[in-house]
Amino acid sequence: MRTKIKSGAFMAFISLFFAVPLIAHHGFDTEYDATKKVKLTGVVTKVEWLNPHMRVYIDVTDANGTVSNWNLELTSPNTVRRQGWGPKDLLAGEKVIFEAYAGKVIETRGALAKISKAETPDKPLFVAGGPEQPGFPKQ
Amino acid sequence: MRRCVIAVTVIVLSVTLPAQLQAQLFGTDQVKSVAAGGTPLVADNLVNGPVPRLPDGKPDLTGPWVGGGSNADMEVEGGLKPGELPLLPWAKEVRDKRKTGDEPYTACLPMGVPRVNPYPWKFAMTYTSKGLTQIYLLHETGDAGYHRVVHMDQTKHPDDLLPTWWGHSIGHWEGDTLVIDTVGYNEKFWFDSRGTPHTDKLHTIERWTRINYGTLVNDFTIDDPGTFSKTVHLKFTAKLLRPDLDLMEFICLENNQVGAAGGYVPGTGTSNEIKK
Repeated sequence: MRTKIKSGAFMAFISLFFAVPLIAHHGFDTEYDATKKVKLTGVVTKVEWLNPHMRVYIDVTDANGTVSNWNLELTSPNTVRRQGWGPKDLLAGEKVIFEAYAGKVIETRGALAKISKAETPDKPLFVAGGPEQPGFPKQ
Repeated sequence: MRRCVIAVTVIVLSVTLPAQLQAQLFGTDQVKSVAAGGTPLVADNLVNGPVPRLPDGKPDLTGPWVGGGSNADMEVEGGLKPGELPLLPWAKEVRDKRKTGDEPYTACLPMGVPRVNPYPWKFAMTYTSKGLTQIYLLHETGDAGYHRVVHMDQTKHPDDLLPTWWGHSIGHWEGDTLVIDTVGYNEKFWFDSRGTPHTDKLHTIERWTRINYGTLVNDFTIDDPGTFSKTVHLKFTAKLLRPDLDLMEFICLENNQVGAAGGYVPGTGTSNEIKK
């Protein structure tokens, strides 16, 4: 089910609005693999509005029926709030499509790059900066 | 070629579209798009406006501001070319050997001077019956140690200082420039995530000038003969936060999971032991 992402014009459009680092509290490369970007669908199990960075947990079921719970890191809750995302905008139980960079050691601990509700895939709820973006800090 | 054209168009649109139009594109009643790490700044058409002033005539430096210091690599961010920072051999060796996973900041320890991150900070003036007695630098994401005190009512540093993360700061005005002189630092914080070190001989001078409504310049001088072969001059620029926003609560240790995905435990810094 996993597919490599091809950067589309829409992604570029959105990304360049927000050409900023995803992981402001620490370096990207120490934890995440820029070459392992995945696109998956799943069901949200938890949204953590906690410091230093928000996290969204998503159950993903593979072709064999095995369920993995992805722990996905965003940026600080304050930053997400300032951009208009509120506590009711993503809830446990909602089906989503997401893109993420996998963790270097624990693959399912990823850096969230983009997430949309399944019924509105062209209206992303969150689009993060990533290592392919201009201005992303090199560590 | 077509992709290039699209990319250029996107860049132009991104730079030129006002915030209001961006809001229309995404809609306020639709699912919202969220920038990550993108702290909203003052609109471009307001940046060059006049510097607001306090009742005493001094420039209002309050902010909040974003930027104005080092973060990933002080040498480059401060305006030097790679290799120009006059590090003594031991300091260069320490910097080269340090790993970003060990930086104290990721373990929710303070950033130190002149470090900033992509989150807002501000000057908070404390006026008392004696006038402007202290200025506090408040960092939303400090991380621990969110405030730093600048003593405006002192002209000398105490001679019995205990080394601390933020040191001891005294300030004064030179015209419209706020000058902050700091000594008494400990050796624990890193200047940047690259691991640029310093010693407890560190002496910094910040010269903060608000050059227009939306821009604050930090002319920064480092004097640390234990680390550098000569005095270092750097220049950083801060941008004003969008005026309707302010600092928010931030408790770094609430749920710090740094390192788990990469299979390491965040460090609390490495010492300068290599020189000894």
